[in-house]
Amino acid sequence: MLTRRLVVCLDVKGGRVVKGVQFEGLRDVGDPVELARRYEAEGADEVTFLDISASAEERGTLWELVRRTAEQLFIPLAVGGGVRTVEDVGRALRAGADKVSINSAAVANPALLTACAERFGAQCVVASIDAKRDGDRWRVYTHGGRKPTDLDAVAWARECVARGAGEVLLTSIDRDGARTGYDLALTRAVSEAVAVPVIASGGAGSAAHVREAFQEGGADAALVAGILHDGLTTVGAIKALLREGGLHIRSVA
Amino acid sequence: MRVTLFDYGAGNLHSLAKALATVPGAEVRVQEDPLRALDTDVLVLPGVGAFGAAVARLAPGREAMRAALEQGLPCLGICLGMQLLFEGSDEGEGAGLGYFAGRVTRLATKRVPEIGWNQVEDERTLAGARLDTVYYAHSFVCRAAEASVVTGWTTHEQDRFPAAVRRGRVVGVQFHPEKSSTAGVRFVQTFLREVAP
Repeated sequence: MLTRRLVVCLDVKGGRVVKGVQFEGLRDVGDPVELARRYEAEGADEVTFLDISASAEERGTLWELVRRTAEQLFIPLAVGGGVRTVEDVGRALRAGADKVSINSAAVANPALLTACAERFGAQCVVASIDAKRDGDRWRVYTHGGRKPTDLDAVAWARECVARGAGEVLLTSIDRDGARTGYDLALTRAVSEAVAVPVIASGGAGSAAHVREAFQEGGADAALVAGILHDGLTTVGAIKALLREGGLHIRSVA
Repeated sequence: MRVTLFDYGAGNLHSLAKALATVPGAEVRVQEDPLRALDTDVLVLPGVGAFGAAVARLAPGREAMRAALEQGLPCLGICLGMQLLFEGSDEGEGAGLGYFAGRVTRLATKRVPEIGWNQVEDERTLAGARLDTVYYAHSFVCRAAEASVVTGWTTHEQDRFPAAVRRGRVVGVQFHPEKSSTAGVRFVQTFLREVAP
């Protein structure tokens, strides 16, 4: 039986891990390789780099960063942010990423998912979906949550999988950064709609929220970022709570 | 000890190469030519790509590679690399090495690909490294014709499949040891120390 996974997300820019500080822009919080290794040692099941670079110069450092990380990290590494073409995905994989998440580019050109899955295999194609509640449904947004689309999140998740995505990274825009818990209804709706793993994202404020994402949301994996980086909790503490809750998780020897 | 990764061209060998290189004395190299890849002390068949494309790259050296394995060349096949050790695959055209009897077929489960950490049961591949929970990313599995070569099993939903096979100095694993954290790296190290000293 597959374990539920705890995925740690690091925002990277210009080869460094950065953190958004309200009204003050971005603050450098460390070396991605060091942080990724530390989270592996603590028991993280996977690391995701979300590239938030604004310029081509900054983005150019990403592949070198992925290469350095892959040489020292022995758990899966996913990369997302600004991936637009089959060539981008190939570059990320050659650099050492195990998976690549595709967001806005998949909405603009859904055939991209199929092309990547055929070329590299469905296991490395992650459909990243940013969704915001709209009445009794969820609307898909692109461009970092700024641009609304006409897509319904559940239907779009189904289409992504039909087109070749091997996983869905599902982020609630409403909950992102709010630390009030994952959008459990959204997570459940998508988990029930697709037959590939769903990674719940957006809203983790405590270890209990992660447990809810699994037990009530039906997620296969949960993405955490800020609460770990800020030291509010630890990978070990989250996993201890999950284990207490009877969830099947990987223990670190 | 020369350790050669046969590269089918799909890329991403960084973590595996580094895991192998942690063993003192291991000189890790990457070779795209299947015949040249046999000029080595240990052959590693990595786990990225699709079966059809990989056997096409392997074809010019297929007979020689199979003969080398039968003659005792230590070999570790990972994921797709394990599948190449079998006769053929539903994933793509072409003949595998046929070192192990059996075919590669799609996981008979609702959730395909299997992505994530799963347990290995009844594991007895290597004496010095026991496996527990390891990382999988695959859609196909090896249906070994002889259960005696299977040295570990994993169950995904209702499908129980070989996690590891071994005959002589040839080991195949369906999971990714290079992505299975400390325990996986230890498995790779132990393989080099135990099977290919």
